[in-house]
Amino acid sequence: MATVDAGSVQTTSGRGREWEIWKGRALLYLLRLWEIFRKLLRSRVGFTGLFIVVGFILLAAAAPFFAGPHPNSREAFRDTPLLAPSLTHFLGTDWQGRDLFALVVYGSQVSLIVGLAASFVSIVVGTAVGLVGGYYGRIVDQVLARATDFFLVIPWLPFVIVIAAILGPGFWTTVIAIAVVSWPSTARIVRSQVLSIKTRPFITRARAIGANDLHILRSHVVPVIAPLVFANAVLTVSVAIFTESFLSFFGLGDPTTVSWGKIIQEAYDHQVAFGGMWWYFGPPGVSVSVLVLGFSMVSYALEEILNPRLRKR
Amino acid sequence: MPTTARRYLLRKALSVVLTIFLIVSLNFILFHVLPGDPTRVLLPKGGGSTNVTGGQQLREALLSEWGLDRPIHEQFVIYLQHMFQGDLGTSITYRIGQPVTSIIAPRLLNTIVLVGIATILSIVIGTKLGQIAGWRRGQPSDLAITMVSLVAYSIPTFWLGLILMFVFSLALSIFPSGQLDLSADPITIAQQLALPVTTFVVESFALYTMIMRNSLTDVLTEDYMVTARAKGLSTKRQLRDHAYPNARLPMITVIAFNIGWILSGAIAVEVIFRIQGLGLLTYDAVRARDFPLLSAAFLVATIGVVVANAIADVLYVYLDPRVTEA
Repeated sequence: MATVDAGSVQTTSGRGREWEIWKGRALLYLLRLWEIFRKLLRSRVGFTGLFIVVGFILLAAAAPFFAGPHPNSREAFRDTPLLAPSLTHFLGTDWQGRDLFALVVYGSQVSLIVGLAASFVSIVVGTAVGLVGGYYGRIVDQVLARATDFFLVIPWLPFVIVIAAILGPGFWTTVIAIAVVSWPSTARIVRSQVLSIKTRPFITRARAIGANDLHILRSHVVPVIAPLVFANAVLTVSVAIFTESFLSFFGLGDPTTVSWGKIIQEAYDHQVAFGGMWWYFGPPGVSVSVLVLGFSMVSYALEEILNPRLRKR
Repeated sequence: MPTTARRYLLRKALSVVLTIFLIVSLNFILFHVLPGDPTRVLLPKGGGSTNVTGGQQLREALLSEWGLDRPIHEQFVIYLQHMFQGDLGTSITYRIGQPVTSIIAPRLLNTIVLVGIATILSIVIGTKLGQIAGWRRGQPSDLAITMVSLVAYSIPTFWLGLILMFVFSLALSIFPSGQLDLSADPITIAQQLALPVTTFVVESFALYTMIMRNSLTDVLTEDYMVTARAKGLSTKRQLRDHAYPNARLPMITVIAFNIGWILSGAIAVEVIFRIQGLGLLTYDAVRARDFPLLSAAFLVATIGVVVANAIADVLYVYLDPRVTEA
């Protein structure tokens, strides 16, 4: 932390020096991330989770390679609806004659993008609220903590459904709805962390040598809470993917794309379960479960690594 | 009852009232301020335009009946007045013109029965597994229980319901897939509830397992556990008399905190198994774009969660008198 601390004593300023500090800070972050990453790879649960997540990211990125053009595009070939699995259609076709294998492969893109976007928004909002409330304390904290508790009490699924129903289906609706219900848990974790960090000697010291609030937050508080926020972000991604599939199943997902939840919803609406077409509603559900599991496992392993309380005994 | 406890309960009661007021306000903001003109929902085709005979007059009549032509703060007062009279609005699709309360009330019972039975089972199973995992932390049995919990937690509820229904009702025809009827004989009810309750339990036991596991890990590092060991108590007695009772305490808070989450699971289960509860009603309201009904269902669910939370808090005071001191 030596290089970072030097920044608080503003003896020699100037662009070059600022840049040096930023470089040092970035390096520090990278080193810590690398450290966590190595521990993650060493844990069995973490490695398996990471393997699943990376696998799905590759699948999503190389979707055209695995499954040809998007089944909704003009180039895609439409066959007879509700075909059984065969060599041309590994998982048969859906009610519109689209290739189900291609739909499932492309579905991974929707889940990952929605999951990451929603998680990002909720983490930014949650961290900001937790930081400000925890650091400034008093009335600001009272108001923000009350607001956080209030949003935590509201049952999340009905709330998500209501928001999505009012805003109307769409990509951003899904992202906003998920973010609105998931920021409070991040805010709580961040706040409790900030409250304990605030009392540590290095904060008092920084303030004594004249560092302002912004500097203390940026250089002394954020680096300490960053790993926990990161672990929480990973968990939020899994919740977001889970919620997205649910919204799609409710007919409140983005109508322009085909997500896993939507495939299951269409299967349900066309009552394929009653026809015994397990290959229709099976694979998208397995995909959601495995991807959510992957993120949950990474998050679980991260918490074991980062939470010293769980390590002792 | 000591004064501290009484003051604590009073403060809790005040906070519940405040929270309910905020929820009612949020509901107002969501359904009255955000979507613009509610008559557009009620008169979907041509509502607000003049190409339907009398459409414009009907729209204006509705606007003035609901007080929507008045400023927003007056609307809020009207809304609150209706709330206090138990008038949650009129459904626009589901038995048109019926007061929403008469639709919700009978369904609430179905939901409570389903959620109640399933939650008790989940807590029993989850706690047991959490105790095993917490005590054997880091050992193969801990890893196995953790993995099973994570997997169960990751499966979407609606999909698990579909799979169970497909396997047990259709392929093996063990359980009927008929509608839940609480006036039927107990065996029929048990048969009807078997699959929904199983789905629910699989989805929610993991939460309790994880809480119990972590809580027990905390407790095991406490000084009184060292004392218990030093006294030469058997492992079984150390756990049963000293560790478990203390580890269970934080669970109550967490359960109270997660009541909203627990209730959320009911939506998917009710939709898949067609149980006429609050969750299925929410689904139908969304599908039919029946906003008054959706709004009322949301309000009832949210207030139910707040009240359940408060009950858990009060319960906690009796189980652990230390909380009032904080």
